[in-house]
Amino acid sequence: MKDSLTSPTGREQFFLQLYQECLPDVAKYISKRGGSLSDAKDIFQDSLVAYYERVVSNDSNSPLNHKAYLFGVVKHLWYKRFHQQRLSSMIREDQSLDEIELSYQAGLEDEYKNIWEFLEKAGEKCMHLLKAFYYDQLNMTQLAKQFGYQSTRSATVQKYKCLEKVRDQVKLKSLQHEDFFG
Amino acid sequence: MRTSLDEIRKLEAYALGQHSPQESLLMQARLHLDEVLAEKLADQLKVYPLIKQFGRKQLKDEIRNIETQLFEKEQHRNFKEKILSIFNR
Repeated sequence: MKDSLTSPTGREQFFLQLYQECLPDVAKYISKRGGSLSDAKDIFQDSLVAYYERVVSNDSNSPLNHKAYLFGVVKHLWYKRFHQQRLSSMIREDQSLDEIELSYQAGLEDEYKNIWEFLEKAGEKCMHLLKAFYYDQLNMTQLAKQFGYQSTRSATVQKYKCLEKVRDQVKLKSLQHEDFFG
Repeated sequence: MRTSLDEIRKLEAYALGQHSPQESLLMQARLHLDEVLAEKLADQLKVYPLIKQFGRKQLKDEIRNIETQLFEKEQHRNFKEKILSIFNR
């Protein structure tokens, strides 16, 4: 299964199938507990990310039970969200859920702003190449093929060049803003 | 591979525990003596979580696109109605 996840088309098929197979049950679970469609969608998206990361890093040949895994993550995330919302309302009863959601979103945007700054400076291709190797866990042969390198050696050299480029940006950023990675 | 890239490769192998015990000891000694190299390792260790964060953001965008297809395209109308009916009971 891992091999089919190395391309965007393969991932699309994979996620489409999981949506069709598992979202109805997840929606029933969230709905029964008073959650909205938007809660179900958010939680399911995060569960798919967790499941994908588990699949690509799974070195053993034993396949994972996708339904059991996804449901485990969904239950955990729902419990976390439900309790966070209760806690937030206990802290400030006058703060609406919209405000809580907005402050959460603002936090995420700040986080992503940093990434986009890196992306600009380190180059989009480099970030995609590093992502393919470290996050999607493609091997060197798959990496060379996907990024159009003649050999695994050229792909390896490019991977380290990109790592160096991003590391230089990290250094520069750390010097400019001491608290960036604090 | 040029020297600086080879150095990055060795720092990575050390950080990810891919070195033999001897190589690892040697690197520890070098890091102890060479402050610049130790700083390079510290910076390099900050890159990996950043790539992970970027990977997650990209993957989440792909997932959101698939979800949009499922809720907006005519061919998936039955699926959409099935999900909506769960929340309209």
